[in-house]
Amino acid sequence: MRRVTLKGLAARKLRLVLTAISIVLGVTFITGTLVLGDTLNRTFDTLVGTVYQHVSFEIRGNAELSGSNNQGPDSTTARRPVPASIGAAVRRLPGVEVAEGSVEGYAQFVSRTGENPLGNSSAGFSFDPYPKLASFRLVKGHAPAGSDQVLMDTATAQKNHFAIGDRVQVLLPHGTRYFTISGLTKFGADNSLPGISIVQFSLPVAQQLFGLVGRYDTINVLTKPGADNVAVERAIKALLPPGVQVVSGQQISNELDNTISSALSFLSTALLIFGVIALIVGAFTIYNTFSITVGQRTRELALLRVVGASRRQVFSSVLQEAAITGLVGSVIGLGLGVAAALGLRALLSAFGISLPSAPLVFEARTPIVALIVGIGVTVLSAIVPARRAVRIPPVAALVAHNEERADVIPRARVIAGVVVALFSALLTILGLTGPRIALVGLGAAVMLIAAAMLIPVIAGPVAHAIGGPLARIFGTPGRIGRRNATRSPRRTAQTSAALMIGLMLVSLIAVLGTSLSASTKQQIDSAIRAGYVVTGSVPTSAPGVVKALPGVTAETLVYQGQIEYDGSVQTLGAVTLPGLDKTVNLSVTSGQQAAALAAGQLLVDTNTARSDHLHIGSVVHVTFAETGPTTMVVGGIFTVNPAVGSFVTGAPFFLAHFHQPLAGGLLISTAPGTQHFERLLTRVLYTDASLDVQSRSQYEASSQKSVETLLDLVYVLLALAVVIALIGIVNTLILSVFERTHEIGLMRAVGMRRPQVKAMIRAEAIIIALFGAVVGIVLGTAFGAALADALRNDSVTTVAVPVVSLIAFFVFAGLLGLYAASWPARRAAKLDVLSAIAAD
Amino acid sequence: MSTTITAPAARAVDLTKIYGSGETAVHALDGVSVEFGRGRFTAVMGPSGSGKSTLMHCMAGLDVPTSGQTFVGDQEVGSLDDRGLTELRRDRIGFVFQAFNLVPTLSAKENITLPADLAGKTVDADWFAHLVEVLRLGDRLEHRPSELSGGQQQRVACARALIGKPDLVFGDEPTGNLDSKSSGEVLSFLRQSVTDHDQAVVMVTHDPRAAAYADRVVFLADGRIVGELDSPTADTVLEQMKKLGD
Repeated sequence: MRRVTLKGLAARKLRLVLTAISIVLGVTFITGTLVLGDTLNRTFDTLVGTVYQHVSFEIRGNAELSGSNNQGPDSTTARRPVPASIGAAVRRLPGVEVAEGSVEGYAQFVSRTGENPLGNSSAGFSFDPYPKLASFRLVKGHAPAGSDQVLMDTATAQKNHFAIGDRVQVLLPHGTRYFTISGLTKFGADNSLPGISIVQFSLPVAQQLFGLVGRYDTINVLTKPGADNVAVERAIKALLPPGVQVVSGQQISNELDNTISSALSFLSTALLIFGVIALIVGAFTIYNTFSITVGQRTRELALLRVVGASRRQVFSSVLQEAAITGLVGSVIGLGLGVAAALGLRALLSAFGISLPSAPLVFEARTPIVALIVGIGVTVLSAIVPARRAVRIPPVAALVAHNEERADVIPRARVIAGVVVALFSALLTILGLTGPRIALVGLGAAVMLIAAAMLIPVIAGPVAHAIGGPLARIFGTPGRIGRRNATRSPRRTAQTSAALMIGLMLVSLIAVLGTSLSASTKQQIDSAIRAGYVVTGSVPTSAPGVVKALPGVTAETLVYQGQIEYDGSVQTLGAVTLPGLDKTVNLSVTSGQQAAALAAGQLLVDTNTARSDHLHIGSVVHVTFAETGPTTMVVGGIFTVNPAVGSFVTGAPFFLAHFHQPLAGGLLISTAPGTQHFERLLTRVLYTDASLDVQSRSQYEASSQKSVETLLDLVYVLLALAVVIALIGIVNTLILSVFERTHEIGLMRAVGMRRPQVKAMIRAEAIIIALFGAVVGIVLGTAFGAALADALRNDSVTTVAVPVVSLIAFFVFAGLLGLYAASWPARRAAKLDVLSAIAAD
Repeated sequence: MSTTITAPAARAVDLTKIYGSGETAVHALDGVSVEFGRGRFTAVMGPSGSGKSTLMHCMAGLDVPTSGQTFVGDQEVGSLDDRGLTELRRDRIGFVFQAFNLVPTLSAKENITLPADLAGKTVDADWFAHLVEVLRLGDRLEHRPSELSGGQQQRVACARALIGKPDLVFGDEPTGNLDSKSSGEVLSFLRQSVTDHDQAVVMVTHDPRAAAYADRVVFLADGRIVGELDSPTADTVLEQMKKLGD
């Protein structure tokens, strides 16, 4: 029996290849994701390990704000600086070789043209001259000496053609300054941290620049060889004042590792989801292929039964075929996956997510997962067709010709489908009135079940309707193609299912993304009255400069800082008070915006007020990192606005609790008729390269851009699912052409020209693709709109349907169908008429 | 009623068809010259492998002869490319095969008009009505082939073959799968179209009773014409076949 299976496979190589391709693509993607994830994890582990390998202990302030994202303290948690005197005391302890303090703060290099800050984020540090303790190694030049010198990371220097001795502009918390590059550094063995430019000053300069004179952020301790570390740690602890802790180098390293891993696992999980989608879509293709081939092999399988094969043998024969197909596909996918890892890395960096380059890591887990998933999906998809094969009676071998079987869908199933659909609608409506997103999600899931039941029912009429215009365009061949697309609604439904899933997801994401983007604009519109927005690290001197410009009626500086509120870390926004009503409008529903802010009271949004039962006059407990716990009085409640955040207070109160406040924005209103203001504003703020001067509409556009970039990335990743869907259509069409060899031969014999044969196949393909597109887009749009509406209390305040995009998807699907038809159409047109007529 | 026959509906000149080469070469046709006149019903008979189907396929442009020429009217078939051959079959030849004559997704009516539809021509409505009436298909026109009996399917095929008033109708064992009553209907119709409408019909068959409907029988054996019979009856055909068998 096994020989029969193998011989059968060998005889149908083409089908094997077509089925395997969909597995290959899915497995390739999953392998690529796993390899990339492992590679990044290993890279960062090594990096962190190398950097902290010599640090015995680190002394640092306790985490000020607990419960940050429920993850426990990590390396990014805000901590209070420690007095420099601790360093001196620790240095005198027996067993301590070195104890070096360090500080960090906001600093960023500026490009030679003075226009762009270098690197995605800022990183300013004091330079630690003791090489064993330093994260950053000096590889060229000398350590910074005096207030004028700075170190640059090698990557930034190479990319921007800076050399030792060059002058370079550096953005600092209070404006920019020029420095001379005294040397170049590396992070471990790497030229830099990915995407970050690293600025290092001498310790006294850094302390002064970051407002930390006489204090350190951390003190790194190195013990003498042979010293008793336990005793040293105990001795250090004895020296420390309350609020300061000592931790081992290992712990620091672990904390950093955890932070990085959780960020990476998010990336890997997101990519894996797309891999799984690709496999689900592939499963439809496999299911369909096996269904059709079992149908075509009715006589062969029946003959096997006649000569004595048991049901079990027929069943396992079909499954073995699936397993072999899955194995071949998975092995190829595994190989291609390694290449895909490189491709994914390039793709992510093209979308602004830069990752370090390192040799790829191939864990033993990767091939195991790839093979299990690949073979598993194929075998599972073949179970239903295999069961159908088992039901073929031996007598089928003796019947001359298998009659065209019409698809009969039981009425009970139609009714059940309608009931399920109505239930889904009910769930969705209930979910939307809440709004409760879980109910809406459940409604969507139930609707998918209803769709699976009803799609074969609607496939006939819908495909017929879609085919109407095509029949007119393609003439008689188009009409026959339309008939072919509707002759087996179940096959049409199954074939288009893959494309349906792909386009459903694409449409869902498009609707959600567009809604999010439109909401962003609407939120900015409703909160900001100012005509101009300056973003970046706005120097405290900027309002003074701006105020002097002609036409300025009001300017408001916006701060942001972290507070601990009700056991979690929250962002507190603050605004300066004069002229506030001309720049900011918080849509306060109760209380008085201006009075509350001036009084140092807290404004909260309606969501927070509702969930925490706050009203005007409520007293809330908050904790500031630098000044500790305090209480605030709620002075107003404003309509939810993600552009603002949930908590807002006045600048005077805010500044009293933050030592090193960073202003994140400046809002400027001008008198009507003020001309060329933007150019003027840019000129006076030009010295500060980190500042982005925008009119309100530009600011809205740039805020929307990040959402749109993310959308593009999702489209690219979903394109994989669409490609697999395309292969599914090719597969079905090729099998249909084989199946209809005689019929095509007959039409050729009575006068169908080759181009007409092609047109016939194309029409069928387009109809199948458009059917999948219509259902997918309709479902995706409905789900997207429902989800967007359910999120109306969060970030999605407007539901927007991107009609043009949706139409584009539809047209794209039609073109895809046309493309899918090209090979099957050529094959059909090339059939030899005589042997086609003779075909059984 | 006498007609002057100027040119035959179709003819073959010194036709050979060799399958394979060298030792294993098979001469399916070995120098066959034959004419099929207008208004004549010709049956081509012979044992299996005699080349009768190959002769029909070569004359209809479905197969390419190794040497020799075939003509439909005054059109030399060998000079046509695929498009020309397709249009020749569509516009000037009608086919009735033994089985699977019809496109399963098209109704009987659509099957009948398929060649005209493919050509983008309108069908002669009177002629269509006539064919439907003679073939008694009036109440079956909207049915799919799977809803028709074998005899009805072959009658639909006959209507399709004749709808374009072709130079020549080829039948390849058109009654091979039918019971005697249905066979009789189909053969009578072909006979009648020859008599009433001056149609040329060439039918490959191995059934002497079917051949008896023809004006003339051409006998093939081993790729050569080995005999002819005018105004055949089932008995004379059978007799001739027995002779050939000796």
